[in-house]
Amino acid sequence: MSGAVKNPYQPVRAQILNVIEETPNIRTFVLKPETEIPFLAGQFVELTIPGFGEAPFTPSSSQFQRETLEMTIMRVGRATSALFTKKPGEWLGIRGPYGKPYPLREFEGRDIYIVGGGVGLAPLRALFLALVHEIKKYGRIYLRYGARTPRDIVYKQQLKEWEKIKGVDIDLSVDSATEPWERKVGVVTCLMDEIPCDVKKSVAVVCGPPIMMKFVTKKLVEAGFPGKNIYLSMEMNMSCGLGQCGHCRLGPYFTCKDGPVLTWEQIKDIEEPFL
Amino acid sequence: MDTYFLANARCGAWFSRLAGRFNLFYPALLEERVHWQKYVPAGFRLEQLALRQIRAAESIKPFLFSPRERVASFPEPLSPDGKDMPTLLFGLKGCDLRGIAVHKKMFLEGEFADPFYARRLANTYFIGADCPVPEPSCFCNLLGLQPFLTQEVDLSLSVLDDGWLVEVISERGRELIDGDFVPANGSQLSQRQAQRERALAVLKQQNPKEWNPNLAGAIAERTSDRKFWVDAGADCVECFGCLMTCPTCFCFLLYDQGNAERFERTKVWDFCYIPMYARVGGGANPRPTFVQRFINRFHCKFMHAKNQNGFYACSGCGRCFTTCMGRIDIRKILGQL
Ligand SMILES: Cc1cc2nc3c(=O)[nH]c(=O)nc-3n(C[C@H](O)[C@H](O)[C@H](O)COP(=O)(O)OP(=O)(O)OC[C@H]3O[C@@H](n4cnc5c(N)ncnc54)[C@H](O)[C@@H]3O)c2cc1C
Ligand code: SF4
Ligand code: SF4
Ligand code: SF4
Ligand code: FES
Repeated sequence: MSGAVKNPYQPVRAQILNVIEETPNIRTFVLKPETEIPFLAGQFVELTIPGFGEAPFTPSSSQFQRETLEMTIMRVGRATSALFTKKPGEWLGIRGPYGKPYPLREFEGRDIYIVGGGVGLAPLRALFLALVHEIKKYGRIYLRYGARTPRDIVYKQQLKEWEKIKGVDIDLSVDSATEPWERKVGVVTCLMDEIPCDVKKSVAVVCGPPIMMKFVTKKLVEAGFPGKNIYLSMEMNMSCGLGQCGHCRLGPYFTCKDGPVLTWEQIKDIEEPFL
Repeated sequence: MDTYFLANARCGAWFSRLAGRFNLFYPALLEERVHWQKYVPAGFRLEQLALRQIRAAESIKPFLFSPRERVASFPEPLSPDGKDMPTLLFGLKGCDLRGIAVHKKMFLEGEFADPFYARRLANTYFIGADCPVPEPSCFCNLLGLQPFLTQEVDLSLSVLDDGWLVEVISERGRELIDGDFVPANGSQLSQRQAQRERALAVLKQQNPKEWNPNLAGAIAERTSDRKFWVDAGADCVECFGCLMTCPTCFCFLLYDQGNAERFERTKVWDFCYIPMYARVGGGANPRPTFVQRFINRFHCKFMHAKNQNGFYACSGCGRCFTTCMGRIDIRKILGQL
């Protein structure tokens, strides 16, 4: 009965169709897996750089776009540096999807207040695209996004187009304006002084570096968002992605299986230095 | 279940018959310590079986969850299917089973079952043996286990003076019994009963202090008392020996070797005490200090395991402190909670 049992550690091959330079150290890889990876916004995959190893990334493309899948990746270390040598036509490996998607059904009828920082906009793009795909189901969609400098903003062109969508409200900031910049200057929380939605009835979704998540969450809690309506993408070390290897433990949770998105309510009492 | 008797004169022949059908491993006394040995017919004598002693120095974890195993390859995928000669672990102990219970939860009961573990488990037969004389390191009784086996093995064996009592626990086990066995009589059963009660009494005597019945809750409450944990782990030299010998630890790491054209993925044991264990991209580490990692072990085994699975991820085997350079005794720490 060869091949009958599925091997969850085995990646499928995925060809790189395109590499888009987003910022000096962030690129979007457009991939075509040999077998479809039917992910939902919020889920992640393990990406294999052949001969090198794996790392977890969240697809940033729309869950309704099935044949290809995009990932927006920042170069930070060993595996991502190896990935950045890859060119269109070359092969990678992919397994997944893993983890729990954003509970979009629970978001229905509510305003959605999204806050992103840096490359953290990647998973939020998948969420945003899923929301606007059926925009009538939701209230207003607010997107607050901050990057270090104007050059560090990802999806520059798309952000301009998203601003035109009815029911969408976008505001941007940069920590420092090293080049001409017409919008706000300051860390992303400077966009949160006025929160235009009804905080008791809306959901907030946050993704970004730990320090940014910490301060954004603090603001959201102070503004009155209930902890169960604040959704945070937790980055823990992942090896298996399957809920087996123990690496991604965060308190009682395995981030790969119970997350990677967890609510503030779930994690607020956990004693780890993240958040 | 049915219990049979096999007279001393016939034990060797039965053992040899089993050895012909399986990859057989048995506990042997080597330089005063019991170790798992692979059966080879040349020079084997039945007296080498250490059935009356306590668990082997090594746990049975490596038989089922390999310390190093190839789990994927590229571009030709690796198939988890295949047939090996079945393995027989002859003479494992009550505490040896807790590891299997934990690993089954972790590797088989989630959304993505590990087919390699499943295959090994299905292909392994278990014959348990009573511990007539527990040793000072044993505390299985405090963790809901017993120094003998009444379930979850195929056969359970008790050594009497004139032969072996063998209780059939599973249907698979029944097939291992053959014509040399006779039904056990009442006197043999009461000898076994007396022997088991003596073992329990020894355990009770050497572990007189009852623990907090809610260890999980007690650990949660103690978590912020850093002094307690710093003191408890003060003698640790971070050799990781305790985690390496522990039968219930389940952590592993996947790593790849090869080149862009072809590679292999290997699964190796990993340990939460290792400083790099939880480090994420860019260098941040949620548990940078040893005391945090030390607490993590107690959270994992005694708090999350109990809350999520209903039993502690500890067997009371005592291997961790028998191995420990710093002589850190887990019983002492648990006893203080
Ligand atoms: C659910 C999830 C989604 C993510 N989504 C994105 C995303 O969309 N975009 C993005 O840019 N980032 C994302 N990340 C972060 C991304 O996974 C990390 O940036 C990436 O793993 C960094 O890998 P690196 O090897 O380049 O970094 P490094 O800092 O070199 O190493 C990262 C990790 O690999 C381990 N490691 C390194 N070398 C070895 C070795 N030789 N052997 C064993 N382990 C080793 C380290 O311990 C460390 O934990 C996500 C992370 C998670 C958990
Ligand atoms: S801990 Fe219990 S089961 Fe294990 S060897 Fe000791 S007495 Fe036997
Ligand atoms: S923690 Fe110690 S006593 Fe408990 S199972 Fe592991 S090695 Fe045995
Ligand atoms: S065996 Fe002892 S010294 Fe070694 S890591 Fe464990 S507790 Fe520390
Ligand atoms: S990454 Fe292995 S358990 Fe989560």
